[in-house]
Amino acid sequence: MSSDAHPHYEAVIGLEVHVHLRTRAKLFCSCAVSYGDGPNHHTCPVCLALPGALPVLNGAAVEHAIRTGLATHCEVHSRSIFARKNYFYPDLPKGYQISQYEKPLATGGWIEIEVDGQEARRIGITRIHMEEDAGKSIHDGAATETHVDLNRTSVPLIEVVSEPEIRSPEEAGAYLRSLRAILRYIESSDADLEKGQFRCDANVSLRPQGSTEFGTRTEIKNVNSFRFVEDAIRAEIDRQAAILDDGGAISQATLGYDAEADRLFVMRLKENADDYRYFPDPDLIPLVVDEERIEEIRATLPELPDQKRLRFESEYGLSTQEARLLSASRALAEFFEAAARAHGTAKSVANWMLRDLLAALREREIEIEEAAIAPEALARLIEMVDRGRVTAKSARDLVAELTEQGGDPEALVRERGLEAVSDVGLLESVADAVIGANPDVARAYAQGDKKVVNFLMGQVMKKTQGKADPGRVREILARKLEE
Amino acid sequence: MTEPLGTLAELRRALDAGAVSSAELVDRSLARAEAVEPRLHALLATREERARAEAAEADERRARGGVRSPLDGIPIALKDNLAQAGEKVGCASKILQGYESPFDATAVARLREAGAVVVARTNMDEFAMGSSTENSAYGTSRNPWNPERSPGGSSGGSAVAVAAGIVPVALGSDTGGSIRQPAAFTGVVGMKPTYGRVSRFGLVAFASSLDQIGPFAHTAADCASVLDVISGHDPRDSTSLPEPATRCLAALSGDLSGLVIGLPSEYYASEGVDPEVLARVSEAVAELEAGGARTREVSLPHTQFAVATYYLIATAEASSNLARFDGVRYGRRAAGVRGLTEMYERSRSEGFGAEVKRRILLGTFVLSAGYYDAYYRKAQQVRTLLRRDFDEALSGCDVLITPTTPETAFRIGEKASDPLTMYLSDIFTVSANLAGLPGLSIPCGFANQMPVGLQVLGRPLEDATPLRVADAFQRRTDFHLQRPPDPR
Amino acid sequence: MTREEVERVAHLARLRLSQEEAAAMASQLESILGYVELLDTLDTSQVEPTSHVIPLATPMREDRPEASYPPETAVANAPARDGSAFAVPKVLEGEDEG
Repeated sequence: MSSDAHPHYEAVIGLEVHVHLRTRAKLFCSCAVSYGDGPNHHTCPVCLALPGALPVLNGAAVEHAIRTGLATHCEVHSRSIFARKNYFYPDLPKGYQISQYEKPLATGGWIEIEVDGQEARRIGITRIHMEEDAGKSIHDGAATETHVDLNRTSVPLIEVVSEPEIRSPEEAGAYLRSLRAILRYIESSDADLEKGQFRCDANVSLRPQGSTEFGTRTEIKNVNSFRFVEDAIRAEIDRQAAILDDGGAISQATLGYDAEADRLFVMRLKENADDYRYFPDPDLIPLVVDEERIEEIRATLPELPDQKRLRFESEYGLSTQEARLLSASRALAEFFEAAARAHGTAKSVANWMLRDLLAALREREIEIEEAAIAPEALARLIEMVDRGRVTAKSARDLVAELTEQGGDPEALVRERGLEAVSDVGLLESVADAVIGANPDVARAYAQGDKKVVNFLMGQVMKKTQGKADPGRVREILARKLEE
Repeated sequence: MTEPLGTLAELRRALDAGAVSSAELVDRSLARAEAVEPRLHALLATREERARAEAAEADERRARGGVRSPLDGIPIALKDNLAQAGEKVGCASKILQGYESPFDATAVARLREAGAVVVARTNMDEFAMGSSTENSAYGTSRNPWNPERSPGGSSGGSAVAVAAGIVPVALGSDTGGSIRQPAAFTGVVGMKPTYGRVSRFGLVAFASSLDQIGPFAHTAADCASVLDVISGHDPRDSTSLPEPATRCLAALSGDLSGLVIGLPSEYYASEGVDPEVLARVSEAVAELEAGGARTREVSLPHTQFAVATYYLIATAEASSNLARFDGVRYGRRAAGVRGLTEMYERSRSEGFGAEVKRRILLGTFVLSAGYYDAYYRKAQQVRTLLRRDFDEALSGCDVLITPTTPETAFRIGEKASDPLTMYLSDIFTVSANLAGLPGLSIPCGFANQMPVGLQVLGRPLEDATPLRVADAFQRRTDFHLQRPPDPR
Repeated sequence: MTREEVERVAHLARLRLSQEEAAAMASQLESILGYVELLDTLDTSQVEPTSHVIPLATPMREDRPEASYPPETAVANAPARDGSAFAVPKVLEGEDEG
């Protein structure tokens, strides 16, 4: 497919995502994985690369990696090999990173993505491999020095490499969101972007429409939000298109993205490919996980987002869009199902969630896990509206309040005196009063202008502080006006 | 001049009999060192104060009947590539000057647990790269049998420390023969266990798939005692065998009946092997036959490829293992550097000696893009062929016996000019590392007035068998009782 | 092995050689490489490379954090430090680190 701005080119985009696995200890030593502590508070001979130290593999990291491979439809290989990737950098204490090269843990998977206005399609995953993270080099502060913190060294990562099948910035965003949702669903990673637990590099190249050859690609690194990734890719496509239109050639480079200026900058020109001198790490035995164990691990996977969405459509009669929104996170999906179970009519619960609860969450910039409202409380509230015990409008305001404070809707309605006025006698007398106070309006109605009943309704609602059920009021007024 | 210390067994008997205290042993060890060191330079440093304190503790333990092991209260020495908590460890290199390890190597911790008293760090070829100890940044060690000659390497210092009677036992490391060859040159017993038998945690890595820690001693029995303490599974080393500690001392029955000894024809027909060395080895084999063993000729057809294979694999792994010596977190950083690249280049170039640089360059080259398949991968394939040779040969024999080295100790300086010549002297020892086999060298006589070493190789995991053969030999001969003259 | 080749490899290994050193290394490495060409005479097309001599099941450890070093220990041997961080010179303009 073509980019709207450059219809004569096809964008070829591949994404490499580094994901922190959700373990308590590091990949090759027993230091704790911890964020935000002072420099070098979580180190030991192994992650400091002291002379004589040796790596020992964390079994939980292997499990998380396998689960991720299974959840993205990869073939998980029984035998994979850890390899050393050799290069010098201050935050790489051994002078090599333990990664996987020729024989990665998993290959050949896919993720389904959907972009507005397009049919859902699959983006291939070339490979998922395990590796250890490096430390952090802090460049700010002293002008001549770099400070090195090795807390993050050997935190377990997987690198998820997509096929270069992504064709637009929007698709890239969709892919990242889908991948992140899956990781959080299966709890193999919290994928918190702010903590650097989900880091994306994008490879971008262009080729003439219809060509199957690959153009020269550039790599965009260190972009820390999905929106900025999309913006950066868009900017790079524009930049490359301009060069190619001019008859120029793209130079291989590593680029960064300045989000404020919406501008790319060169981090490094790559004249020569890096020579990492990969070889199997002689300190580690090949990783062998037998088929039986892989199947055991597969059985621990929860229902995945795609499966859940389809089930919501079929089981609850939701539309695809509704199902997608309610299955966006596992917590939200579980909330929905619990509320639907408590209430009895899933469609009704879905409407209330989609319209009111999601808005309340968005307004407060929180996720459902942080909301105080319980699924049963929502169900109860909806039920009260069904039975006319509270007006829909009052109830909708309560959703926001329950989201923030939690509590029992019954009690809240009582406290706030929000019970709907359904005493017919009272309503009749209010209606009489209102009609009596507006004889000309009543005359207009009698002469055929039925719409004026809305004004009278407004008056009744005012007199009842909005607690009267609108349907009932309209009915009473109409009857009285007819008389 | 102070007397050389005796064997581990002798010292143990003396301690248990109350004839001597651990404190006295440490005194004698340090005095002996003082006497011989100016000439032999086996040691890089002693740890007098701490050793005396530990000896006092050992004496106290023995007084209340709490002796922990045969090594309790015995002075020992450790090669300078073994991490000791709170001590300097330097691999005889300038690049690690001043570095103090915060942790113990597992083998060291086990020796300490057993009550052994470390008195010294021994000299070695820098980062264990060498066969003569001439590559030490602090000057070579000298062979006590003739101080103009090399004690071998890379564990030359540990071999001399035992041969010259400073300590009864010492630890070294063996990657391509670095225990067995110096043992042969200095007339002591030196053993490399099965790969994975002794934890490598805390051994500064040279070639990870080849390195093993092992003991030096005067007797096979003493080696067995040490191996029994330092061996056994270590969860901190992923290449550590899942086996418990060995019980080799108990297996030394002295019995040779039924033993089948394989004699690999390629080792005996080799050109460049000193005929006197071959003669001593043949005599030794005859002695073993007289004791009840049988011999048969076997073939290790890929022997001629072993040195090339070894140097490709060892240098490749070493080039990666030594990347951590970069001046960032420990060790020496060059002064007056302006940028990061200069810091790396000058710290490493000023800190490493020529042989280390040469091997790093070679290893980097064989792993580099375009050369990996032709060199490194090829070598790993030939390694498979070498292992198959041994599997085949050892399927019909209990042990293989060969000369440890083609010649006796060479003169210091003799091989320094041509690295390749030095590499070729490892021809008989490297294969055991490539195949992961246990192997040892024991003295079996003299040639050119220098000791000759007999190498005994066993099947993987059968560490007791070469020790049993060596011990039986020592019950029938007295080469292991010979001591070099005091240095003049 | 040319001197340029030695310099390329030296840079990969972050070693700086003088002209004489580079020339000497080139010739020594050349003779060593010439020697190892011996291996080319073997047909290994059907042979698996050995990367580990001992057949072992993959050792794995439990995901249980244990005490780390106090930060002072971590930097105790540091040639230069800033608080508990290691301090190194910055990458200069034109250098290709990172």
